[in-house]
Amino acid sequence: MQRELRDLEERGNTLTYYELLGITADADGAEIRRAYLTKSKRFHPDAWYGKELGTYGPVLGKWFQRLAGAYQVLSDDESRAAYDKDHVGKLSEKERSAVEQRELSRVEEERRARERRERLMHTKGFARLGAARRLYEEAIAHAEKGERVQAISAIKAARELDPNRKEIQAKLAELEKEQARARAQSALASAREREDAGRWHEAMAAYSGAFQLDGHLYSAALGAARCALEDNDPRNASTWAAKAVELSADDPAPKLILAKAFTAMNMKARARSELATLLNKNPDHKEAKALLKAL
Amino acid sequence: MGELVIGIDLGTTNSVVATVHGGQPTVIPNRSGYRLTPSVVAMARNGKRLVGALARRQAVTNAERTVVAVKRLMGRRWSAKTTQDTLPRLPYTVVAGPHDDLRIALGDQQYSPPEISAMVLTELRLDAEAFFGEPVSKAVITCPAYFNDSQRNATKDAGRIAGLDVIRIINEPTSAALAYGFGRAQAEKQVAVFDLGGGTFDFTVLHMFKGVFEVEATGGDSLLGGEDFDNRIIDWLAVPFQEKHGIDLRKDKMALQRLRDAAEKAKCELSSLKTVEINLPFISATQASGPLHLQMSLTREKLEEMTKDLVDRCMKVCEQVMNEAKVHAAQLGDVLLVGGQTRMPRIQEQVRHIFGREPSKNVNPDEAVALGAAIQGSMLLHEESEMLLLDVTPHSLGIAIAGGFFQKIIAKNTTVPTSAHHVFTTVKDDQTSAKITVLQGESEISLDNELLGEFMLTGLRSAPRGGVDIDVIFDISADGIVSVSAVDVQTGVRQSITVTASSGLTEEEIQKAALANEDWMLGQKEDPDFQDRKTKAEELFKEFEALWPKLTRAAANGLGQDPLQRAQAALSVARLQVAQKESEGLASSIDRLERMLGALKGAIERGLGGPQ
Repeated sequence: MQRELRDLEERGNTLTYYELLGITADADGAEIRRAYLTKSKRFHPDAWYGKELGTYGPVLGKWFQRLAGAYQVLSDDESRAAYDKDHVGKLSEKERSAVEQRELSRVEEERRARERRERLMHTKGFARLGAARRLYEEAIAHAEKGERVQAISAIKAARELDPNRKEIQAKLAELEKEQARARAQSALASAREREDAGRWHEAMAAYSGAFQLDGHLYSAALGAARCALEDNDPRNASTWAAKAVELSADDPAPKLILAKAFTAMNMKARARSELATLLNKNPDHKEAKALLKAL
Repeated sequence: MGELVIGIDLGTTNSVVATVHGGQPTVIPNRSGYRLTPSVVAMARNGKRLVGALARRQAVTNAERTVVAVKRLMGRRWSAKTTQDTLPRLPYTVVAGPHDDLRIALGDQQYSPPEISAMVLTELRLDAEAFFGEPVSKAVITCPAYFNDSQRNATKDAGRIAGLDVIRIINEPTSAALAYGFGRAQAEKQVAVFDLGGGTFDFTVLHMFKGVFEVEATGGDSLLGGEDFDNRIIDWLAVPFQEKHGIDLRKDKMALQRLRDAAEKAKCELSSLKTVEINLPFISATQASGPLHLQMSLTREKLEEMTKDLVDRCMKVCEQVMNEAKVHAAQLGDVLLVGGQTRMPRIQEQVRHIFGREPSKNVNPDEAVALGAAIQGSMLLHEESEMLLLDVTPHSLGIAIAGGFFQKIIAKNTTVPTSAHHVFTTVKDDQTSAKITVLQGESEISLDNELLGEFMLTGLRSAPRGGVDIDVIFDISADGIVSVSAVDVQTGVRQSITVTASSGLTEEEIQKAALANEDWMLGQKEDPDFQDRKTKAEELFKEFEALWPKLTRAAANGLGQDPLQRAQAALSVARLQVAQKESEGLASSIDRLERMLGALKGAIERGLGGPQ
């Protein structure tokens, strides 16, 4: 085993995944798996559990991981094809023809699928539109059941078949918007949870995530500002508060945060002007008055 | 034979300990002779720690100080929504711990979930030691495949507190597959394990070939199990009662415990019967109408109807995992059912339906997991073993990146042990520290994933921005536990990393708890002579009892009441000493009782008069 590991360290990097697993490139899926499992019996660290491996320990771990990586790539048709293409120069004549054969049949398979789709695309008239219609209906059914992801993928396929239909485009836009909104809401909920727990930094990150997903979420901007201020981060607080002011000019809350942030950054004049506009609209705001006085 | 090692299935409702004995995996019965030990811990009113069947039996009368299903709290954060949803269902009190973790209040003491689990583990360890007649310290403990890093760490901590050297944490479904494949692992075969236990659901697809077990894909739901089925029945019982009498039985801890017992019993019975009667007399009372009783009959159909969504959730997970593993139902050689809840006929029917085959009857759903753990222990420690387990990580591992997004570093279903790198570059001039937030999960939004911890890279070399590259290495061990280290790429110097946010116990807390547990165990260890003395004392009790009618007659005939009263006092002292295992005191009591017995017998023989 030690000799095998030393050998791998010396020339392992030049070996192809096939050579590493001890098989040829014309192996089929089952052979690849058997080769990997047989090799694992010697290379998995558990096979040497409790043994004093010294410097060989990490080396063993490294090569087991390489084996697992090689298996992962070769056990999936698509990634194996990509690997073969990149390593064609390292393969023997016989292997190359096997790889070509495999690639041919894979390409053939793909071509047939594409053709089917294209035939559908080029069929003028009912077949194609009918297929689009079916997909559209499928999407609506998914959407009704609340399965938004499936709905979106169905409707995208429908759009491909029938790109001109307004109905489909409108539904897609609606679904995508809904998806962003739902994600934003979930981010917002997590942000509130974190804010309640007093984890300001995380809460701020969550609020800003929610805002990125839905730029109209006033509560996200305001929340981010609030948490940034609590987190002693007046720079971010002022940016977020400014965004919140943009979204809702009448609410005193973001202006107050803005003023506090400016105060913390020692920008008193701007703080004062924010407070003044605030008091202009809400003359009875006690906290703002007190803050202005203190300034 | 080699070193002793045990396998432990630390379940939500029941736990099992097993070992490989004479080449054969065997369940170790507990000291009361049962193969299943309830995962229940209680603090009796006299302050005594009760574990297992004893604790379970007194749960109704001592609900607030009886901890059930602690597995559902392992490695959870106090602030998580799932935690807050679970808490109102529990009869005992859970409070926030110091690291955003949980503490269970029992009397005036507070215990972390690993400490409670450690009490169950200690019990199992003592059972194993009684079985072998010698100390055992090495153990393999199982956890649901879907457990994340914090939950695995909590399980490992529990083992350490119980004084066990946990050589491996393995996944329950994988473990069950090992038990299934033991002795027939040479053939090439693909199997699926459907594991619905008390608290968690796992579904795993494995491939076996020449003694190697390769997990191809795994998935599950760590908050879906038999307990949820019970809860549906509890609600079904409690809601109409509340409507009728205005009393929510679920708020009354003692009533809730009775409901829980009745629901579980009804559920189990409905696996073989079509309808059961649930009868809970004196469940509550009102001023106006006096005592209230609850009597309802539940049909299998009704149970199936109210748990339909739970069963559907399981089946959805199955389909998803089969897709990930790119396996068709027809390719599977066998489908194994593990966990008590799979006895439900509806579940077996659904499994039959989606896999198009009869589930295998070759594994015992209660014992397979512990047996597999014992096999894994022996695979690791004993050289002659020709088997190997290739397991995978159930969740993707990654870091939080700008904008609140999640970047995957190790994809789920990657074979463990594994590792991956990620290079961080400083973004400011003379930046001295950087924070890395490590998460586990599948969502692209970092907040939707489970936070494992925050690490601070500190003491960075002073350089213009972009001048320092830190290579951060993420390792996942064969236990599925994550560790993080970092190296400065340019200088090759190891960076120090400090964990700034992590749930669970600190090293210090674990050691303290382990010491406390050891003290408790020493207290439990009885004097080797105690058993003999106990037998002797019990013989004496019987003799006194047999003699008592004669003695009362003798007392009336002139012996007097005095000697009898003295004997009675000595007897009750001795009984107490037996109960409290006071070996030394019992020895002198025996002496005294023997002397008394001799004197009294003599007095009776002499006719009547006592020794004066």
